[in-house]
Amino acid sequence: MTAVDPCAHCEEMMQPYMDRVLTDVERAEAESHLDECTYCRKRYRFEEALRQFVHQAVVEPMPVELKTKLADLRTPLQ
Amino acid sequence: MSETTREPDARQIATDARDRVRFEEDALALSDQVYRVARHLVGSREEAEDLMQETYARAFRSWRSFQPGTNLRAWLLRILTNLNIDRGRRKQRTPDTQPLEEGDYFLYNRLEASSDGVSDEERVAERLSQNDVVGALAEVPHDFRDVVVLVDIGDFTYADAAQILDIPIGTVMSRLHRGRRILKQAMAESAVGGEA
Repeated sequence: MTAVDPCAHCEEMMQPYMDRVLTDVERAEAESHLDECTYCRKRYRFEEALRQFVHQAVVEPMPVELKTKLADLRTPLQ
Repeated sequence: MSETTREPDARQIATDARDRVRFEEDALALSDQVYRVARHLVGSREEAEDLMQETYARAFRSWRSFQPGTNLRAWLLRILTNLNIDRGRRKQRTPDTQPLEEGDYFLYNRLEASSDGVSDEERVAERLSQNDVVGALAEVPHDFRDVVVLVDIGDFTYADAAQILDIPIGTVMSRLHRGRRILKQAMAESAVGGEA
């Protein structure tokens, strides 16, 4: 058995952790490492903030005229 | 005799009309969320608007093929991504070989190296602009971008993204993994440029 570098393992688990696709055991493992490791915790906070930022940054409201055009595509009522 | 056969027909027509109206209202109520994804699957706002209209026109025509109780937003996005591929909007083919992308912490490291050694979560908004993100996203090759946009922008699950794009869930996961890294690389280029 080769010893696994816990921070490398944490990096690998980070995205799946944020996607909430880890098993309960994996999640608990990741959280306990994040609790005790400043190096990983800083990066985790950054990654979370980055996702949030990307999510917000790309929002472009739908043009009102487009909304009207889509509504006009409805089947006319008899 | 004719009375008894006509009655169910009339009822059927009325039910049909009611279901169709409800379907159309439900689909329209989701249009903001569909547009949010559509806007970043194609290159320009004009293309996104055309694609939205084609999608809704097709959805309203084939509303009967939607199974009530299933995910309508995913169903609409499936039509939209198919139309996007069919209409050849995805001109840029993803090259067979991609440059080896950097690691998950690439952007963090680049920002840290160029900002007095500090790069925590507060720095994100400080160092990146909205344009950095939008421009970087447009640089991600289509196959990867589709998945990143559906999951990270559209908040779809891996399973939904797999269904929408008609690809295995494992492919969604690997494209998402690489797509996010490519996106971070592009954002780093944009935010930090050649320095560091």
